[in-house]
Amino acid sequence: MNPLRMPFWGVEWAWLFYLLATLALAVLALGLWEKIALWAQGRRAAPVASHSHPLGAVLADVFLGRRIWQGGRTAGLMHLMLLWGFLGLFVGTCAVAVDHYLISFLQGRVYLWFSAGLEACGLLLVLGLMLALARRWLLPVPRLERRPDDTLLPLWLLAVACGGFMVEAARLAATRPPWEAWSFVGYGLSGLFPSAVAAREAFPWLWWSHALISLGFIAWLPWSKLAHAIAAPASLYLQGQPLAVLAVAAEEGDLAALGLRHLLHLDACTRCGRCVEVCPAAQAGEPFSPRDLLRRARRQARLKYSPLYRLPWLRGRRQALLERDRAADWEAAWYCTTCRACLEVCPVQAAPIEMIRKLRAGLVEQGSAVPPQLMDTMEKLFRYGNPWVAKKGAKAGWAQGREIPDLNKKGAEADWLYFVGCTTAIDTRAQGIARALSDVFIHCGVSFGTLGKKEPCCGDIARRLGEQGLMEEQIEATQALLNKQGLTRIICTSPHCFDTIKKVHPLFSEEGLPLQVLHYSQMLHRLWQQGRLIFDHPLPIKVTYHDPCFLARHNRLVDEPRDLLRAMPGLELVEMADHGLNSLCCGGGGGRMWHEIPGQANLAVRRLEQAASTGAELVVTACPLCLIMLEDARKTGGFEDKFAIIDLSELAARALGLAATDREAAVNP
Amino acid sequence: MKILVLVKNVPEVAEAELEIDQGALDLEDLEMVVNEWDNYAVEEAVRITEASGGEVHLMTLGGEDDEDVLRRGLAMGAHAASHLCDEAFEGSDPATVARIFAAAVKGGGYDLILTGVQSADLGQASIGVLLAQELGLPHATMAIALEPSAGEVVVTRELENNTSEKVALPLPAVVTVQSGINQPRYVSIMGIRKVRKMTIEQIEADDLSLAEDALGAAASMVASQSLVLPPMGDGAQMLEGGLDSVCDQAAAILREKGGLA
Ligand code: SF4
Ligand code: SF4
Repeated sequence: MNPLRMPFWGVEWAWLFYLLATLALAVLALGLWEKIALWAQGRRAAPVASHSHPLGAVLADVFLGRRIWQGGRTAGLMHLMLLWGFLGLFVGTCAVAVDHYLISFLQGRVYLWFSAGLEACGLLLVLGLMLALARRWLLPVPRLERRPDDTLLPLWLLAVACGGFMVEAARLAATRPPWEAWSFVGYGLSGLFPSAVAAREAFPWLWWSHALISLGFIAWLPWSKLAHAIAAPASLYLQGQPLAVLAVAAEEGDLAALGLRHLLHLDACTRCGRCVEVCPAAQAGEPFSPRDLLRRARRQARLKYSPLYRLPWLRGRRQALLERDRAADWEAAWYCTTCRACLEVCPVQAAPIEMIRKLRAGLVEQGSAVPPQLMDTMEKLFRYGNPWVAKKGAKAGWAQGREIPDLNKKGAEADWLYFVGCTTAIDTRAQGIARALSDVFIHCGVSFGTLGKKEPCCGDIARRLGEQGLMEEQIEATQALLNKQGLTRIICTSPHCFDTIKKVHPLFSEEGLPLQVLHYSQMLHRLWQQGRLIFDHPLPIKVTYHDPCFLARHNRLVDEPRDLLRAMPGLELVEMADHGLNSLCCGGGGGRMWHEIPGQANLAVRRLEQAASTGAELVVTACPLCLIMLEDARKTGGFEDKFAIIDLSELAARALGLAATDREAAVNP
Repeated sequence: MKILVLVKNVPEVAEAELEIDQGALDLEDLEMVVNEWDNYAVEEAVRITEASGGEVHLMTLGGEDDEDVLRRGLAMGAHAASHLCDEAFEGSDPATVARIFAAAVKGGGYDLILTGVQSADLGQASIGVLLAQELGLPHATMAIALEPSAGEVVVTRELENNTSEKVALPLPAVVTVQSGINQPRYVSIMGIRKVRKMTIEQIEADDLSLAEDALGAAASMVASQSLVLPPMGDGAQMLEGGLDSVCDQAAAILREKGGLA
């Protein structure tokens, strides 16, 4: 006898099955249609650029689950089992349909291998599901939630898979075909049936329950978080879209008005919680979670734009839910430090950092939910070009006693513009960076000048706070000034200015001169490589280096500062638990430097606890905001007799024996 | 409800280094901002109309640059604005300013006229009251809550020591608004850009039915004589020098006076 598949073996009422299947497919189609309608709406709101991520990398991320492995091996293994098990069964089911309705090819050896393959996939799926359930219930992974559908979904799928095996087992037990061992799982289970007759009697029951559970599952697919099967690859493909100049529509301060890419992110998120695990705000116990923000955004997008919610009897509920979410978002909007830790670990590149900026932009346009302190900051930025003092011309004070060319002046020339930045120019602690750095530059013979009192704000803070109009205005003003003076080579003190001038300014200066923008650590690194910066004063001291988010994660600069530290004679570098791309944010980004939020935690203290456990005598960083945050936390968190905080530039000055920096005292607490 | 809000552009002085130039504040290095109390008044008016309809009209008296204060108010949600701008208005004392406003307001059909309790620069706290007098309208000062209804407004007035008084005024009425009555909204740059094209009614002296000698310094009974910056206090000692040297000196003084053990 030629081995072959037996469709509908022993099952009556096939018509009923077809009816139910049509129903299930209709619900599936409705779910897909709703998503597509939403996505289409998003495309109208903000189309995606044609640029996209390299396909090979995307495929590797999707089919090998690379980013999932990076976050944990069990998770990687589980996902791989589920993915390949599910995929195998899906392809298998399609093959069966083709065999049944189009060309019959599942016979003979092909059929046998096919059966064995499906068995393996089913087994993989079952094991994967058990692992998934175990990770939630037996070896609880703290970042995982236990919402009803988190358990129901794997249980349901488990019922589908086990039901399939049982149906097969009953068929084998009833018919005992000679090739039964190829279906090794079903064959193994077939022993559960005492006799062929019993198996025959049980068969229709098993078949129908399997059919119903499976159809239910199919219907549920697009409505469940398995929708990530479509959205996650799309989200990965669309990662790293080029920055665009966003037209700011008044967005009513909610997250509903998102573009296609963001909507895909919302469906791609599987609530794995990795973002929550690394988010400095969430970790410190603040009432904020990037995952919740995404969940609310998803619900809002549906409520606002889903065709389903336009049905009259859902309208009332829609309004109530929208109001509730909006209030929660208004609160949540300001906790994020824009540190990018979430995006770094998110397996599907969906973490909400950009969405938070959109949310803020909406709130800023709408006006009434902006925290008063931030209003004050933005008004200072607007009127005085800095977030610190309501006074003009406050940016030159740090340079007193130093002869630094003012590049506003006619005839003043220099190879480099040193862009000091608001905080470094004004804050008394951070001014030490500017003084140390200019001393180092002078020592190395770098030709540089500043814009002195007239230095504009680069627009970074406005950008982070969502004050899009102010950001544009500041960028245009800065660009106009740079163009007028013919300045194209820029060194920034702050990683924040650096990030904005490097990435956003070019979008605003089409006719402008091409900019070459460096963070000062890059400049020092260059000088060191060229042999112009030779550290000749021994510093027998143990230091640890705090990576500023905007150097490490946002700009991938982790080696340069470390090279410099290692080049300092006598100095020993030890690393904190979180370092490099995994650095833990000091809490000063995203405008939080200028804002006290109810319920806020001192994020920098958590960072210093890590520093303390390294036994370092000195914590080095390379950002004025980090410097201030860490310095404050050192005082308020009781670390004063443990270590000092110093900027890389200040340490470099010391290693050159340039003791003139009047902040030297900070090194010797 | 048709609400008029009187607003004023004032120099922001809190953190600035002030200089006096010919008896007046040198505005060169100062930024002009909306008078804080007026900002609360605009917000309150906008909220009232947002809740129950109507329109908000703004009015200011000042130089050409002072138009900014009106744009800002329009961006907050006001519907129209008038700018009283004429050299003839210069040098007016509060009573004269109130007279000019009264002439401009007449026939406007306003139900409610709001303004700040006082202005940050001159602090006379009198325009609202004098205007009510000129127009023959009832007035209430120091409002920390407003409940307008048909034909009436109930005003909660702030008194000393956390007490307050509720008064009812028939409309139309003039109310001066205390700070803290609300939390004024943020006005974004985009918001201001969006109202850039709105026309602002320009009102000159000739447009008002006022005699020439009822305007400006000539009509004023009070004239500013001089402006004096706070004298350096006797107790203060200014330390000179760089940061390190200042710190050393401060530490030495503390040690000397027994402040450091
Ligand atoms: S945003 Fe990314 S990291 Fe966060 S829960 Fe969703 S999938 Fe996980
Ligand atoms: S960017 Fe940083 S602070 Fe913001 S949500 Fe992500 S992890 Fe949290």
